Amino acid sequence: MSIRSSLRSRVASWERPFRWAGRVVDWLRAFGEPPAPTEERWGLERPWLINWQWVPKRSAGPGFGPHEYARARARGAEVARATMGDENWEFLRRQGYLDVRSRKMPGLTYRLRVGRRIQLIWDNLEHAMHSPWPYDYLCINPTYPLPAVEFTAQLYLYLRDREDQVVRTAAPQPFDQLLGRVF
Amino acid sequence: MGRIIVANRHGDQVVQWDPAATTDEGRAAIVEAEQILREARARGCAVSKKVDGKHVLDDGAFDPQVDEYQIIAPIAGG
Repeated sequence: MSIRSSLRSRVASWERPFRWAGRVVDWLRAFGEPPAPTEERWGLERPWLINWQWVPKRSAGPGFGPHEYARARARGAEVARATMGDENWEFLRRQGYLDVRSRKMPGLTYRLRVGRRIQLIWDNLEHAMHSPWPYDYLCINPTYPLPAVEFTAQLYLYLRDREDQVVRTAAPQPFDQLLGRVF
Repeated sequence: MGRIIVANRHGDQVVQWDPAATTDEGRAAIVEAEQILREARARGCAVSKKVDGKHVLDDGAFDPQVDEYQIIAPIAGG
């Protein structure tokens, strides 16, 4: 027992300076290292790099419980307000929808509702006769999961600034329904 | 401080930089912010820029003096 323990203590005292030297070398190495990659620096998830096809409809994917959903929706609401502006935000909250007048098609108004398909509102039958779509609802989803209210604000930007892209992308549908890629 | 709001399933995540940064780390943050915007655009995302307090979709090059960018999800029909 005494031989073994004295051996151990001798080895330990012999190792100590090397351990300290190792720590100094590690510290010096860290000093010259390039900054941490994006994910580490900001804890950022870049959803455009991920394949979301396997994630069930109206789900944010694994690792999300009620607390995470509530938090994401609350943050999404803040971003939506900043994106669409206070006036539009208040209108959406009060009325439950936000209307965006078409700049391409006379007599057309896009009605945005949180988490639902876009509803087409025509001023009159004559204008409706020139609709490029056979139905009154347009189904458009984000390619990755988002809080529904946040995507509503993004659709607002697309309709206001890139209506052509929406017209090209939209899938016309005969009835209203919840969107699949928002929660 | 400039920032990019990355809208994702967490609601949003924020990337920030100081446009007047003089340190290596500060300059690296600007370079990374620019890379994030470029990468998102290459994957089909749109980018909005805050102009006069209002977000507008924008195709311009990254400008570190801009107060706020936002990455907008690509859209798909159906």
